[in-house]
Amino acid sequence: MSRALLTLVQWLSPAFPTGAFAYSHGLEWAIAEGEVQDAAGVEQWVADILRFGSGRTDAILLAHALKGHDLEALSDLARALAPSAERLRETEEQGAAFAATTAALTGRALPPRPLPVAIGQAAAALGRPVTEVLELTLHAFAANLVSAAVRFVPLGQTEGQAILSSLHPLIEEIARESAEAPIEAIGSAAVRGDLAAMRHETQQVRIFKT
Amino acid sequence: MNALTPPRDCLERSQGHAQVTLARVLGAVRLRDLAQRGSAKAFLPRVDGPVPEIVFLNTSGGLTGGDRLSYRLEVGEGCRAVATTQTAERAYAAGRGVAQVRVAHEVGAGGWLDWLPQETILFEDSALDRRTEIVLGPGAGCLMVESVVLGRAAMGETLSRLAFRDLRQITRGGRPVLVEPLALDDRALAAAAGAAVLGGLRALATLALVGPGAEDALGPARAVLDEPGVEAAASAFDGKLLVRMLALDGWPLRRQVARVLGVLRGRALPRVWQD
Repeated sequence: MSRALLTLVQWLSPAFPTGAFAYSHGLEWAIAEGEVQDAAGVEQWVADILRFGSGRTDAILLAHALKGHDLEALSDLARALAPSAERLRETEEQGAAFAATTAALTGRALPPRPLPVAIGQAAAALGRPVTEVLELTLHAFAANLVSAAVRFVPLGQTEGQAILSSLHPLIEEIARESAEAPIEAIGSAAVRGDLAAMRHETQQVRIFKT
Repeated sequence: MNALTPPRDCLERSQGHAQVTLARVLGAVRLRDLAQRGSAKAFLPRVDGPVPEIVFLNTSGGLTGGDRLSYRLEVGEGCRAVATTQTAERAYAAGRGVAQVRVAHEVGAGGWLDWLPQETILFEDSALDRRTEIVLGPGAGCLMVESVVLGRAAMGETLSRLAFRDLRQITRGGRPVLVEPLALDDRALAAAAGAAVLGGLRALATLALVGPGAEDALGPARAVLDEPGVEAAASAFDGKLLVRMLALDGWPLRRQVARVLGVLRGRALPRVWQD
């Protein structure tokens, strides 16, 4: 394994201090409402968020950041695409933490940016294939949502890992498509995922920030 | 058919462009320019009041593959205006090609636009690519609503083939303030029952308020999000208020949209909305 790949795996691991564990991306609301209540429901929810929602959207933003497109413009776009206050916070807070930690490790000046742009900004220097960075990032995102579900549905640990394994083909497919997609290809059909993120704001009892 | 005969689809294409410019003249908002051609028209039923109302209309009766339609409204510095559409827009089976709709409004410094088009109804096999862009000047603001209905529930229609891209974008000073790129295709329709997609619902609306005081409207907006048969939520951030609404059919959605507009605007809806 190359050292650059090891670095990437480190940056995208759950131990990397972006605070990812605190964000459920609206899934907490769906679980609390009983819309998602078992392993099949979790897999469906996460798969749809990946394919029709921010999984694919963020992958396209990240691919552009990796390829050296205008980072300021991509950051503005990422913020404008945020569908709710909490989702904006989710991408900005994690992005700022990611940028600060990678800046400290690499000695580079990496200003805070929304998460996919922050990852692209830092990872561009690693020289790894775009598809690989997208796969690992999508995997980290999916793993975080599954982990939230394992804690909150709750599910067994093995059940959670089985969900993640079954999402691998989808992750590969989205990464492959997004690596070459133009910015205009960004589009979302995860309307109730966005609605869930909005409704989370007024949820009475909350464990997660989003 | 020989090589010189254009395909049928080409012959049936409709094209239309309507453009209205409003400016402040001697303290009053006045019509400065009106241009229309093809299937697009603009009416100004109330242009003399303090807040002029502009009604755009597609006279072709609906959109199909290859159609080109564009609406543009320029609201001058310090002007307020309300713009809407005469009827619901219908996108029919496209045949070959994609219908293209471009809505490009501009609001000058300190101005305000309410862009309140009626709903878009999508039929099986329709292909519609729409871009709505509102460009805001310094201190300007807007209220925008977009409603989309997938088939007609009363007719038992369930869509399975669709190519719909609906980009809604509000920019200020060349920077995006709000970008909502709705994209519904065959794959999304096949997954539409999913709880994170449409949960089996087929009427959806987004309302956006951007400008001074937008975030203060969160409380009043949330207070009216209780229309029976409608799932709705609101969020305020970054100088904007967003409201999302979903229903099984267009009618409860329309009632909910009208109630939110009522509380945000504090005045009657354009007459074309009151049926």
